[in-house]
Amino acid sequence: MQHKKYNALLIDDHPLIAEAYKSAFKFIENRNEAISFNILTATDCDSACEILNDYANNNDHLEIVFLDMRLPPSKDGTLLSGEDLGLRINDLLPETKIIVSTTFNDNYRVHSILKNLNPEGFLVKNDLTPNELVQAIEEVLEDPPYYSKTVMKLLRNQVSSDLLLDDIDRKILYEISVGTKTKDLPQIVHLSMPAIEKRKRQLRKIFALNSTDDRELILTAKDKGFI
Amino acid sequence: MSSTKQITIRHLLSIKFVLLLFATHYSRSQNQITIDTIDSWISQSRNKKFTLDKRRYILLKSANHVINNNLEVPLKLSTIAYELYNIKDSVNFFKVNNKSLELANNLKDNYAIADSHWNFATYYVNKELNDKAYYHFNKSYNYFLKTNNLNEAAQTLFGMARIRGIYRDYAGSESLNIEVIKLYKTLNDYKRLASSYNHLARLQKDIKEYDKALVYYNKALSYFKKTNARPYGIENNIANIYLKKGNYDKALSYYNIDLKQNITRIHFARVLNNKAYCKLLKGDTIDIKNLFFNSLRIRDSIKNKEGILSSKLNISDYFLFKNDTARAIEFAKEANDLAKELKNGRDYLASLQQLANLQPKQSKKYLDRYIQFNDSLISEERRAQNKFTRIEFETDEHIEQNKQLSQQRIWIFAGSLAILLISTLLYFLRVQKVQNEKLQLEAEQQKANEEVYVLTLKQQAKLEEERVNERNRISAELHDGILGKLFGTRVSLGFLGMQMQPDTQEQHQTFLDELQNIEKEIREVSHRLSENFDDATVNFTTIIEQLLKDKSVIGNFKHNFSHDTNISWKSIDEVTKANVYRIIQESLQNIIKHAKAKSVTLDFGLKNQKLFITISDDGVGFDTKKGKKGIGIKNIKTRVDKLSGSVDFLSKIDHGTTLTIIIPYSPKNAA
Repeated sequence: MQHKKYNALLIDDHPLIAEAYKSAFKFIENRNEAISFNILTATDCDSACEILNDYANNNDHLEIVFLDMRLPPSKDGTLLSGEDLGLRINDLLPETKIIVSTTFNDNYRVHSILKNLNPEGFLVKNDLTPNELVQAIEEVLEDPPYYSKTVMKLLRNQVSSDLLLDDIDRKILYEISVGTKTKDLPQIVHLSMPAIEKRKRQLRKIFALNSTDDRELILTAKDKGFI
Repeated sequence: MSSTKQITIRHLLSIKFVLLLFATHYSRSQNQITIDTIDSWISQSRNKKFTLDKRRYILLKSANHVINNNLEVPLKLSTIAYELYNIKDSVNFFKVNNKSLELANNLKDNYAIADSHWNFATYYVNKELNDKAYYHFNKSYNYFLKTNNLNEAAQTLFGMARIRGIYRDYAGSESLNIEVIKLYKTLNDYKRLASSYNHLARLQKDIKEYDKALVYYNKALSYFKKTNARPYGIENNIANIYLKKGNYDKALSYYNIDLKQNITRIHFARVLNNKAYCKLLKGDTIDIKNLFFNSLRIRDSIKNKEGILSSKLNISDYFLFKNDTARAIEFAKEANDLAKELKNGRDYLASLQQLANLQPKQSKKYLDRYIQFNDSLISEERRAQNKFTRIEFETDEHIEQNKQLSQQRIWIFAGSLAILLISTLLYFLRVQKVQNEKLQLEAEQQKANEEVYVLTLKQQAKLEEERVNERNRISAELHDGILGKLFGTRVSLGFLGMQMQPDTQEQHQTFLDELQNIEKEIREVSHRLSENFDDATVNFTTIIEQLLKDKSVIGNFKHNFSHDTNISWKSIDEVTKANVYRIIQESLQNIIKHAKAKSVTLDFGLKNQKLFITISDDGVGFDTKKGKKGIGIKNIKTRVDKLSGSVDFLSKIDHGTTLTIIIPYSPKNAA
């Protein structure tokens, strides 16, 4: 078996977490002599970008990136979060496999990350254990994708009602859930007020709700995993 | 001549009384019978067949009847007084006439006042107390003028003119007389015009304006001829003028005309005497002694003292002419005594002059007496003249004063009315102002209250916002910071554990699981902390919910609260919110006080840009149509009106109450 060396980039603003990922890679190295990892770390968007640019410029391979979703934004303001950074990676290094690691477990964000980034791995930090972490790395390297159990659950939940709710519905629900004012909604979702109301009525119908209360709508949507 | 005329005037007047009495009849029906009785008594008393005592008795009975029954008929009393004067009972005349005047004054019956004064004037004229008579005539005249009884006014004025004439105030008398004539001309009273001109002519004769006197006498005669009254000797007067002018033949012819007329005995005697005197002056002494003595006899028989005096003076002249000095002196002395007795100044002087002529030796004595008496006469006349002027002047002044007084009274009345009005106005203005100030103060207080409430609300909102912010911060800190670190630590620990002994590894795993659980708990805590998806609704609705909760504890009812989340409470102005809060507070208070409800439902709805606030309870309810509205309901209405909304109470006895308030929904910056 040929020895294989992988380049890995860990992007997380917590050094402790990066350290944990490193432990996982070391664990794999120890277990499998044929694999070794060259590990780089970045704690913010700017330093991550630098590294990514290096790889891109040198036409080097970067096999795997651990990407935290919550990161300090870049100084030039073009990258606001891990999500933006992920898009940049997809742009610069299309071959690179991304493992999103986040504490988010709100369904809407998970959904949107899946949709926008389509990462090879999706880990939710909360239910991550060392074994799972190792498994995720291995699977992403060999046969992606690997999704955390929470993410899997979410995907499964959605299949049933996916046809009924489009992105705009989700966005409306999400905006309401984060406390966006009703009057600001039309600007955010680019729909007229009556149209938004109509969608909300439709949503209530789908969720079989009688009350006109938004709170109930949001709670149900959360239950069903749309947000 | 004068007093007889006065009486005839009075008789005529009594006809007028009867007419006047008719007028009073209708207005005083209750006293009609008694007044009729009095009228009949008065006419009875005029019956000359009765003895004087009987007539007096009837009159006094009538007067007592009026006085005792408090009948308000002063005119009756004055009539009775006049009748008493006619039967020469001056004591009772005074009593009754005074009563009449008193009553008339009390009743302000001007006609009756005038009539009473006239009675007095007539009485005093008869008594020759001319100054008193003049005073009463003047009073009477003024009152008659006031009541516009021109006939009576003219008669009384004529009385005044005559009195002035007696005192040789020719100018004064003449001017009064002319006034009288003017009045009579308007009344077309020929008889009175004749006597007025007669008097005017006599005045002219006295100042020796004989031609003028003749003109006036002729006027008098022409007016007199238009009447068919009994002649009273205007021809005699004309004859007298001719006599004075020395035209004896003409004088004699007029005397003869007069003598042929149907004249009174007293006048007949006068004319007879005058005729004799005229003949004497002419020098035609045939049969004149008889004429003189015939006249004197008649005069003696009817006790006409003035006439006797004039006769005696003339007879003295006759005897002087006949050179019978002794008899001449005898008659002159008699005349002198009589003149003294009658206080006839003119004849007294004439007799003195005669005596002085007849007794040259004693002429100085008589002339001295003459001069002295003449002086005193003149001064008396002057005094009297002044007195009359004063009386008139005083009356004028009195009238002027009255006018001034009444004007003053009007001014005082108008002034006090104006002051009253102004002060009432001021009072009301003041009350209004105080009330306005009170209202303003109340409004300000309410505004201040609301401001305080709004401030509290804002403060609360701010506090709430800060609280939420803080919670979010803690949540984020927990979630991102602590959880992350914990996760890193756990995973690192996990890998470390893989190098351990299998038995310790198991234990290690248990701790790791435990750590994971802790993470999960922290995450949940973090989620719960950040779980507030509409900050805006939290602020106001939580306050309302809290209010509802608090009141439900006091009122011991279940509560149910719902609201449309589309309502952007944050963009509704604070005053509206404050009012909505108060309205809800007030209605909850009402529910606690009256409804005895078991559950209360409060709902905020939004429909067609209108805010619907519905508060319903299952309490005892009330009849919305009946009864006075309480202060609570009133306050709610006032507040809703302030928000230009509408309020509707729906209630039935034992079926609870539903209060629906609809107010315009107008967020400050609505999209």
